[in-house]
Amino acid sequence: MAYSDKVIEHYNNPRNVGSLDKKDPNVGTGLVGAPECGDVMKLQMKVNPDTRIIEEAKFKTFGCGSAIASSSLATEWVKGKTVEEALAIKNTDIVRELSLPPVKIHCSVLAEDAIKAALSDWKKKQGDAEAKPAEPATAASH
Amino acid sequence: MSVTQTRRDETGRSAGTKCWNCQAPVAETHFCAACGKIQPLPEGTDYFAFFGLQEKLSLDSAQLEAQFHKLSWKLHPDNFVRATDFERELSLNRSSELNDAYRTLREPISRVEYLLLRRGLRKEGTTKQQVPPELLEEVFELNESLDELREARAEGGDLAALREPLDAAQGNFQGKLEEVDAELVRIGQEWDAALDTAADEAKKQALLARMNEVLNRRSYIRNLVAGVQKELAEA
Repeated sequence: MAYSDKVIEHYNNPRNVGSLDKKDPNVGTGLVGAPECGDVMKLQMKVNPDTRIIEEAKFKTFGCGSAIASSSLATEWVKGKTVEEALAIKNTDIVRELSLPPVKIHCSVLAEDAIKAALSDWKKKQGDAEAKPAEPATAASH
Repeated sequence: MSVTQTRRDETGRSAGTKCWNCQAPVAETHFCAACGKIQPLPEGTDYFAFFGLQEKLSLDSAQLEAQFHKLSWKLHPDNFVRATDFERELSLNRSSELNDAYRTLREPISRVEYLLLRRGLRKEGTTKQQVPPELLEEVFELNESLDELREARAEGGDLAALREPLDAAQGNFQGKLEEVDAELVRIGQEWDAALDTAADEAKKQALLARMNEVLNRRSYIRNLVAGVQKELAEA
């Protein structure tokens, strides 16, 4: 199966690879995995507590090209968005942007989960009243 | 084409199927006991049933192989050159199913995966699995350590010095893989015992869930083993 040009582009030039200080109260960390293909994805975001804008995003993913491209795209998309806007990103948006084939849809689900997990971690750190326990996305995966 | 309607009970086994040729009742067999004609493959037949087996995980591979050869010979399209197109098609269907069934059941891991697939705990491609956070942490760290070795090598690090940590990582991952496989065998035995004693559904579900979790862990570790082996081959 051939990867789309966009997947290859992100794979060859992944954006925002790296990590942020896990202990920083303004940094939320999400660690998620898709064991069926052995993928593990870490996504971190630094959020300005006053504006609730995501100022920085980093990821590190061990997995296939689609998983790397999905997380790379996710970090690109969340930067500059508010927490609420970032939470509105759906895996289907990623599927569309990267033209992921059906067998790789779970990679996009993973990226959406990672965003949600990271922001839920951030909210927890902020003692945010609306913080909810990390809730895996029940995103449509078909 | 006179394929009779198949009704099935809750377990998905066909019930009340009739032979397309002589209308005699046929159970889940390849040939009609009355007229000897090859039978259509009922929808949803599982690979275990195809071999006339219970869905047990400990399987005598020599026996399975013998049964495979016997069935290949019986179902082979060469035996149907003078038969009707319909029967030839049935022979082709059953022969190809036989190959898939054999390939799947002969490997212990794919056997477990197949059982979990049939029981709805895994779905191909789409459904994501829940992974305990501790496992993710561990896998991420192991991957990072492998990545560090990779980077050191890419930056022209001393290969002789790198072999040592790579060898250590290899031994570590391989050891974990063996642990996981042993665990899978243990749960498999519990599963077989649960079938033998007709244990309740809750107990069976719990065993399936455990197998699924171990299998997830196994996918991660297998990837790590493959990764470190690749580095060692290139080092």
